Amino acid sequence: MGASVNETTETAFEPLLQFDMEMEIFLSDWQHCDHVSSYLARMISHNRTDPVRHSNFFSSALNELLEVSFRGGTTDGKIGLSIYRQGGTERVQLSFPCPPGQARFYREAVSKTRESDAQARYLDAISNDLAPSRESVLLDLAVNYDARLRLDEREAPAITLIVDLPLEGMVS
Amino acid sequence: MITAGLTQRFKVAFDPNSQIFSLAGTIRPRSIDEIAESIHALREAIDAVRGVLYIDVKRLIQMNNTAFQAFIRVALDACRERSDLRLIIITSSVVGWTTRMFRHLSTIEPQISVEVYDSMFYPGQSFVEDTSFIPILRAQTKMTWRHERTILPRHGMRPGIAMADICCGIGDFAVLAQKEFQPARIVALDHSRASLAYARTVAADFGVTGIEYTFGDASEMLLEDNQFDFVTCRHSLQIFNQPELLLKELYRIVKPGGRVYITNEKNSHCLGEPRAQSIQWTYNELARLLSHFEMDVELGPKSRRYLADAGFDDILVESFMVTNLDGDPQDFADVIAGWEKMFAAMATRHGETPEFIDRFRQGFRDHIFAALHPKGYAGWPIWAASGRKPL
Ligand SMILES: C[S@@+](CC[C@H](N)C(=O)[O-])C[C@H]1O[C@@H](n2cnc3c(N)ncnc32)[C@H](O)[C@@H]1O
Repeated sequence: MGASVNETTETAFEPLLQFDMEMEIFLSDWQHCDHVSSYLARMISHNRTDPVRHSNFFSSALNELLEVSFRGGTTDGKIGLSIYRQGGTERVQLSFPCPPGQARFYREAVSKTRESDAQARYLDAISNDLAPSRESVLLDLAVNYDARLRLDEREAPAITLIVDLPLEGMVS
Repeated sequence: MITAGLTQRFKVAFDPNSQIFSLAGTIRPRSIDEIAESIHALREAIDAVRGVLYIDVKRLIQMNNTAFQAFIRVALDACRERSDLRLIIITSSVVGWTTRMFRHLSTIEPQISVEVYDSMFYPGQSFVEDTSFIPILRAQTKMTWRHERTILPRHGMRPGIAMADICCGIGDFAVLAQKEFQPARIVALDHSRASLAYARTVAADFGVTGIEYTFGDASEMLLEDNQFDFVTCRHSLQIFNQPELLLKELYRIVKPGGRVYITNEKNSHCLGEPRAQSIQWTYNELARLLSHFEMDVELGPKSRRYLADAGFDDILVESFMVTNLDGDPQDFADVIAGWEKMFAAMATRHGETPEFIDRFRQGFRDHIFAALHPKGYAGWPIWAASGRKPL
């Protein structure tokens, strides 16, 4: 898993938008996570069955991902965000530079989201932890948004989180 | 009530009488410290109640994991400390992710339960959301549009604006407004999934794109503040038991300087000739009957007061009469036939006698008779009013 990408599904995803920003600017204000997620969610949701609710749902997931990059990213380089669509699913591809050696933690956290005990781990985290960890945030996406997550490390030291969100079917 | 700092657009409130703690708005703090006061408020609310505390998150638009975990920490700890405590979390069917996130709490902690709030907002709702109502709404809008298309520009409708039609029903009005006035954006919201499904099909059939049909509760909308130039809410304030709550929401989403446009009836003023007396009797009774369902179908002339009380200025009120002479009298007759059916069902439900229901139905039939009579006249008066949200 991880960097291996299935080319056939890849081509079937249609690009919706691409956004990037210098990390230094992104990290200068926490509100960027909220603003960028709300704005982009609205843009990509306008032709969904229920644009308002899709946008709300999508923004919620995207914001968590942006917060992960805000908390874990470094100032050198850019944050890049691409959104694709295939049927009822949006794919978010989020790249950001992170400190050397950190990729391993993301790799582990992502792989836990795909294991059969993801839900149990998530419940354990929310019942005991005071604040969310990187791992519990990704588990939240898997459990509450039915997200499928992967990690692409080909652009090291930047990492790319690839998250498929089948929200259309959940909203309408 | 605590309203957190500028960067956090949310409200936290506790009502000790109803034992309801509510969280509303967007809560996306970077750290727990930013919401310390609100967390503390939850702790205090828990300490203040005996038995049950309701945690109302129906109006929670966004909440990040940082806030979620901080709040549930307090809830879970409290349950561990107090075996007498029960927490009931109320989520909304409109905001999908809140239910999915909060539902886990009942798995983790048996003292917590999660309820999804939906429908039954007010006593008459089930009748209004009934699908048999769809053809009536269709015909009604067809008739009112003849008048409203000339009235609307006086109230602020113009091309290029962002507009919302709240309680849009089957969406005909949004389609007509789109075609005639070409707004830049139209959001159309209703709480009937059946009506919305119908609306989407009609729009697709007519090749109309760009209307954002959305499922929502008009009294607690997901839409953000100050977004629209023009907000319409037609024939709907009159069916809510608390129209002022709805107006508050309409006020919230319209931009300062923008206008809210409402239409309402005064049912007892429906009229017809011949058979005026029977018609009059039925519509008087109708207004009385609907008041038992807490609907005020006499609201039309009260529009000015409602708008003023809600904080609007530059209020405009006008009335118009839909009549059998406007177009095809059969359209008028069809609407009244729909009313007869729906309102007779409501009268039965209210426990009226068969004699009453016969006489009640007769008035609608006489109204139809007047509408279709070659020398007859039948009317349905409507009040259109709007107000501006001050700058
Ligand atoms: C009398 S109809 C008017 C519909 C439309 N505006 C028209 O003029 O044809 C009232 C509408 O309000 C909707 N409604 C009822 N309760 C609602 C709520 N809480 N939120 C949003 N819409 C609601 C009903 O589904 C219905 O479509």
